[in-house]
Amino acid sequence: MASTTPPQRRQRADASMSLLVDLSTDALDPGYAAAAARKRAAGVDDRPRWALVGATVAAATLVIVVAAVQTRASAPAAAKSRSALIAAVDRQSATVDRLERSIATLSAEQAKLRDASLASTGAGAALARRIAAAELALGNLAVVGPGLRVTLADGSAASGNNRVSDRQLQDVVNALWTAGAEAIAVNGQRLTAQSAIRQAGDAVLVDFRPQVSPYVVTAIGPAVDMETRFGASRTAARMRGTSQLYGLRFDYARASRLTLPAAPDATLRFARPATAATPRGHS
Amino acid sequence: MIVLIAVALGVSLGLVLQPTVPLDLQPYLPIAVVAALDALFGGVRAWLEAIFDDRVFVVSFVANVLVASLIVYVGDKLGVGGQLSTSIVVVLGIRIFSNAAAIRRRVFRA
Repeated sequence: MASTTPPQRRQRADASMSLLVDLSTDALDPGYAAAAARKRAAGVDDRPRWALVGATVAAATLVIVVAAVQTRASAPAAAKSRSALIAAVDRQSATVDRLERSIATLSAEQAKLRDASLASTGAGAALARRIAAAELALGNLAVVGPGLRVTLADGSAASGNNRVSDRQLQDVVNALWTAGAEAIAVNGQRLTAQSAIRQAGDAVLVDFRPQVSPYVVTAIGPAVDMETRFGASRTAARMRGTSQLYGLRFDYARASRLTLPAAPDATLRFARPATAATPRGHS
Repeated sequence: MIVLIAVALGVSLGLVLQPTVPLDLQPYLPIAVVAALDALFGGVRAWLEAIFDDRVFVVSFVANVLVASLIVYVGDKLGVGGQLSTSIVVVLGIRIFSNAAAIRRRVFRA
C-alpha cells in the first residue's frame, strides 16, 4: 500500500457505492503502475534486486507456513482437552451408577433384616405389612402388573418442533396419572412424588438423569380403562396432532405384564415426621 | 528461479524451526497470512504485466502485514477486533481474488 498519486477519476453514477468497484479495479497495487511510469519517464530499465525479492518471498512463505503449523499444532490440543472432559464425565457417571447400585443392594439388605426382626412378633408383622404397603405406594419397591406403554420419539430431522420436549413428556405422564396409573416409569426410571421431568439444553432430564429419544413411558394400572381414558384425554389428542404435524412418534399400547424398577430412596433433608407417634422415617 | 528457491527456503525454515508464535501475536497470524498472500499475488500479477518493481513489492508486503496487524490490534483495544479482522479479510480477499483472476486471464488467455 505504497502511497501514490491517485489516478484521475471521472464521477461515476454509483459513486457512493464505489468501494467494491474500487477494490476490484484497483486490485493491483497502484504503486506498480506508478513505478513503471517513473522508470519509463527516466528511461532506465533496471533489473529487479533479486535478493530483496527472494527475501520477501521467503518471509511471506514463512509466515504462511508458520500459520499452518500453528493451526495444526493447536487443533489436536483442543480435541484432546475435549475428549479428556468427555472421559471425565463418563468416569463420574460410572461412579454414580456404581454407588447407586450399592445403595440399592444395601437398602434391600436392610429391608430384609428389618423384616426378619419384625416378623418375630405379631405387632412387628403388622408393622412390616404397613411398611410394605407404604413402600409400594411410594415407589420404593419394584412392581409388576398390567398397564400401558406409551412411546414418544423425535422426528427424523431432529430440530425444533419435531423434538419431544419436557412439557410433552410431563403432559403424557400427568395424563397417565389422571387415567388411573398406579406406577409410572420413563425409560426405566421410576417416577415418585418427588420426580421432576425437565429440559437442559437438548437433553430431557428425568430425575436429573439425561434421557434420549425414544422415550418409553410405562404405566401400571387398569389397562383397558387406562387406555380408554388416556386415549380420550386432551393430552393424547394434542400429541396426535403434533405427531401428524411434525412427524414425531407417538403411540401407545396395552401390555399384560410390565415390570417397573424401584425408585432410588428419597432423601428428605428438611421434612421430618410431624408427630412423635409416627412409627418411622424413611427406610 | 530465485523465487522458487525462496519459496522452498521459507517452507523448509518454517517446517524445520517450527517457531512458536507468542500467544499475544497469535490473533494477528491469520491476518498476516492474508496480507502476505495479497502481496504475493499482486507481485505475480505485476510480473506478468511486466511492471514488476522490487521496491513496491517489498514495501507493499511489509506495509500490508504491519498495517493489517495494526488495524486488528487497535480494533482489539476498542473491542471491535473481530469485526475489523473480518473487514480486512473481506478487502484483501477481494483483492486476492481479482488479482488471481487477472493472472488466470493472462496465463490461460481465458
